[in-house]
Amino acid sequence: MSPEIQLAGIHPRSERLIELTRSYERAKSSWSQVEVQLEQETKEIIKLQESLGFRHFSDGSLAWQDQLRPITRSLYGVESGTRYSRWFDTNTFYQKPIVVGKISAGDIDPRSFLRTELLAGKVERKITLPGPYTFSQLSENKHYKNYADLLVDVALAEREIIQKLKNLGVTLFQLSEPCLVYQPYRKGFRDQSEVELALRAIRSVVKDNPADFVVQTYFGDGAPLLPELLDLPISGVGIDLFETDISSLSEQEKTSKAVVVGVVDSRESFIENPSWIADTARKFSEKLGARDLVFASNSDLKFVPQEIANQKLEALSKASELFEAS
Amino acid sequence: MSKLFPVQEIGSLAKPKWRTKGLRQRLSSQDLSEAEEWAAKLGIQDFHDRAKGILRTGDDKERVKAVLELSTLYGLRLFETTGLDNDGVGGEQQRVEMYEHVIKAVHGMNLLGHVHSFDNKYFNKGVAESKISRKHPVYLPEFLDVKKYAHRAVKVPITGPYTLVDWSFSGYYIQKQQANSPKTRKIEAKREFLLDIVEQIIRPEIRDLVDAGATWIQIDEPAVTTHPEPQEMELFVEAWNETVKGFNCKFSDHTCYPSEIGYKVLAEYAPKLDKCDQLALEFANRDTSRLGLDEDSREGYSDLNHFVDSGFSGEFGLGVAHVHDYTGNVSEGAGKSVGRDLIESPELVRDRLLFATKIVGDPSKIWANPDCGLRTRTWDVAFAKLANITKGAELARETYQ
Repeated sequence: MSPEIQLAGIHPRSERLIELTRSYERAKSSWSQVEVQLEQETKEIIKLQESLGFRHFSDGSLAWQDQLRPITRSLYGVESGTRYSRWFDTNTFYQKPIVVGKISAGDIDPRSFLRTELLAGKVERKITLPGPYTFSQLSENKHYKNYADLLVDVALAEREIIQKLKNLGVTLFQLSEPCLVYQPYRKGFRDQSEVELALRAIRSVVKDNPADFVVQTYFGDGAPLLPELLDLPISGVGIDLFETDISSLSEQEKTSKAVVVGVVDSRESFIENPSWIADTARKFSEKLGARDLVFASNSDLKFVPQEIANQKLEALSKASELFEAS
Repeated sequence: MSKLFPVQEIGSLAKPKWRTKGLRQRLSSQDLSEAEEWAAKLGIQDFHDRAKGILRTGDDKERVKAVLELSTLYGLRLFETTGLDNDGVGGEQQRVEMYEHVIKAVHGMNLLGHVHSFDNKYFNKGVAESKISRKHPVYLPEFLDVKKYAHRAVKVPITGPYTLVDWSFSGYYIQKQQANSPKTRKIEAKREFLLDIVEQIIRPEIRDLVDAGATWIQIDEPAVTTHPEPQEMELFVEAWNETVKGFNCKFSDHTCYPSEIGYKVLAEYAPKLDKCDQLALEFANRDTSRLGLDEDSREGYSDLNHFVDSGFSGEFGLGVAHVHDYTGNVSEGAGKSVGRDLIESPELVRDRLLFATKIVGDPSKIWANPDCGLRTRTWDVAFAKLANITKGAELARETYQ
């Protein structure tokens, strides 16, 4: 079977939708006009996934204003709306969650997470959420004396939210954990106790939560943590191949887990050659002994214009065929 | 002793509707009604003559020139009326925005389309498709208009080379690299692209501005704090020093909205920046909205300590007003929340300035400014914020009299 292709987060909005949202900001269009376009574009993204042979379908999260916001708005003890912070090293920003009380899961607004009505008929549904470690690292803590307690509560709350999302038919959860690999400013980050805390938080999200989980790392070198990530009770692990030097990966025992290969760069506009994608993925899988590969972008494709994002998905699809043929 | 806590703007103001529409099509007198209202507030004496000229002309180029000149005049007068000590360039009325405005003037760059920045804000991202060169001057026409009308000192903000490269796709530059590792290819491409931007685009711009009489250039480098790795920071310093080399002019840096790292790494490298007389930084965004001179109330300003510790000896442009949406609570006396805006009270501005002075030690090194350009706020809100910054600076000044 050829490697599966998946969306790895927020898909870019079209120029039409961008113009409408700007027009809405200027009070020249109504929100219902934006909604109509959002719906149409979501349908188009689902259709594109169908045409490219996806098995797990996402809705593209076109309405998400940042990667954290739907979760932030679903938590008690967390406020937002007063501060914007930069999303890693990109020119995009997120509303910083401010932790002001004990965190627990609140009610969720299903539509803010997933357009289930547009995914009707799709049995396998994927959603991308921030992992508990990344969420807690990107929040400002004004309540907990001990970071570990904050992380535990985020994980427990996220677990509960995920259970609710399962009722919406989500079968695959990508927990994005860029903070596990991107923290160049934190000397001593490799401190094992902190890594253990992070891994424990992920375990508590997935514990007794029967769904497929993938932990996706990006914007940093995933190699040092890969063995520990592969030990987690999850179905797959994702690596950003533009930040991870394949040659630095240590030889692994064959893993039965899916490995999500972030092999198109969501931060560059040129369209990767499908042969290069297939070759690079092959080298990676041989080194890692991975049998179950998923091809994806290294992170959200929202960092490139939509037309380019769609071409990158097409390149992944062709690469998947080439990989299989060889 | 020179005036303490002088007030400056950082760059942009929102574009009035008549300015945006006037660039695309002929205007009606109805279109100019908002301009007429503001003309009274800002003391634009010859508004009616100018309006007649704009309405009468059938020549598109003539209309666009007149509209840009008028909106620049309005921006300058808004800054002047709110009491600023530096007029800037009138709110960057002649620019599309900080990135696209420059990229459009570069041979070899192609704008690919919009990408998300935050909420419903986007920017048009370009790619280098070949080796780059300058098509025409970017900032000079605006500066010449500003010179005609500014009554006070002028600072010219320009977009820095590191940010222009960081916000672009490398395209041509990355595809020509030979290294095996994608990461190495990216870094090598960035350096080559960056040094080309400095030599081909930015230095010729500065030469034009200085020759035309500019005495202070603010280099906007918001991207620099997003790559704290030593290799990247050294690259930034190399590009900065190459940019300012040989020019007789005041230079300052404006960097805002750093990633989680805050300003720590910028502080470490700031003393290595040649001729960098001032760092204008964003702080209000991460500060509390309550009065006080204690560390908890003024938590947003703690990063100033890094600059003091690293030995940066220049001035600070202190962000004392938020420039984005604000939906939180505001404590009594600290200001008011109006819709999606926070209007900081003069007392809150005062406390921020005085707290920063405690850290920096020398009040003469501190300027007051908004965190960043005010382009996302309406003119009413921008006016109220700037007026309160001016009043807050006066209150802070009083404590030293």
